[in-house]
Amino acid sequence: MSKIIIGRYIPGDSIIYKMDPRGKLLVAILFIFIIFLANNWLTYGIIALFAILAVAATKLKAKIFWDGVKPLIWLIFFTSVLQLFFTTGGTIYWKWWIFTLSSFGIANAIFICIRFTLIILISTVMTVTTMPLEIADAMEWILKPLKLIRVPVDKIALVMSIALRFVPTLFDQTLKIMNAQRSRGADFNDGGLIKRSKAIAPLLVPLFISSLETAVDLSTAMEARGYRGSKGRSHYRVLRWSKVDLVNLFYLVSLTALLIIFRTH
Amino acid sequence: MSIKKWFEIDLRELILLGLIVAMKVVLEQFSFGPATVKVGLGFIGSVLLAYLFGPIWGAVGGGISDLIASAIFGQQGGFFIGFTLTAMVAPFIYGLFFYQQPVKIWRIIVATLLVDLIVNIGMNTMWIHIMYGLDLKAALIQRAPKEIIVPWIQMIVVYFVLQSVSRVKIKK
Repeated sequence: MSKIIIGRYIPGDSIIYKMDPRGKLLVAILFIFIIFLANNWLTYGIIALFAILAVAATKLKAKIFWDGVKPLIWLIFFTSVLQLFFTTGGTIYWKWWIFTLSSFGIANAIFICIRFTLIILISTVMTVTTMPLEIADAMEWILKPLKLIRVPVDKIALVMSIALRFVPTLFDQTLKIMNAQRSRGADFNDGGLIKRSKAIAPLLVPLFISSLETAVDLSTAMEARGYRGSKGRSHYRVLRWSKVDLVNLFYLVSLTALLIIFRTH
Repeated sequence: MSIKKWFEIDLRELILLGLIVAMKVVLEQFSFGPATVKVGLGFIGSVLLAYLFGPIWGAVGGGISDLIASAIFGQQGGFFIGFTLTAMVAPFIYGLFFYQQPVKIWRIIVATLLVDLIVNIGMNTMWIHIMYGLDLKAALIQRAPKEIIVPWIQMIVVYFVLQSVSRVKIKK
């Protein structure tokens, strides 16, 4: 359970922990776009170096990052192999039916491997060094411009914080309901397709009913404490930019500049 | 109709939305079926969002669930706004078919196939193509087998889920 409550956050004390979650989230999002500027060996080398520097700056064990890559390793491998044979161009070494092995294919497969790994590494740095609550606050900040097109960002923020608060509770409840049904002979992992699909209802309906009850109770409690919509309220949890975030910004800008200079045009 | 009207919702519903979003995030962590074709339970969350809140708030809930899931569990394969969009479109499509409608088998079949085609085969393949620069044809070949089998399993589950949930709604 404790694993679920804190998510993937691992406490630590390095420069990345002191950064504002908004800055980290922006870098994690933009990194995926920046990686597209890389199109030759030199630029891939530069971006890999930057990612490794970011990983090293967390001062966490390498195993944590390996755990992030591990579940996807077969997907990465399989995808690279498919790309290896479907990319054509350059010197052709071998050809059979629709499969071709070419110099472009080999380079492309390796690039895709690197791209996958780097994107996973950077988002692991993000989730491992930032608490879920902080990430949610940062997401709320990023959504703010949607106010201009009259999207109710405050309501969305409320839904976000309620969902975040209740994920551990509901997870706990789901396991309890499963065990309670099991103690009366319910089987969630056996039988044919229809039997298994039917077994989901005894899990879902109690969960749904308890959510309905919680919603009624919580809305009554919030109204009793003076909640009358999100307008005109103040914020208790506030994010603050600091000098460390300049490092983060500098990282992103210099990486982009280097990639633009050295990429093949 | 103004945008404001689309987003009208009272506090109790808003909180229930938060709870269903949390439920979707929890369900995503479970899967069932034999090891060869594992079916995640996240789509049940999308169906519930759509059935209870309709296309608009269902889509909002889907988007929030993606954000929350990546905040807590981290997104396997990195943050990418495309997948948030995907998480919004699925409840939107389900919402067009299920919201304030009687549970009918044809609705379930059409909605599930549409979601599979547009969301899983179309959009998600596109995002992977954009994110990792994969060849589109190769990416499609890689995903096709799963996306051909899974929707039929999902339909059966959706049918039982909607039937049992509609009973809860009538009681209240």
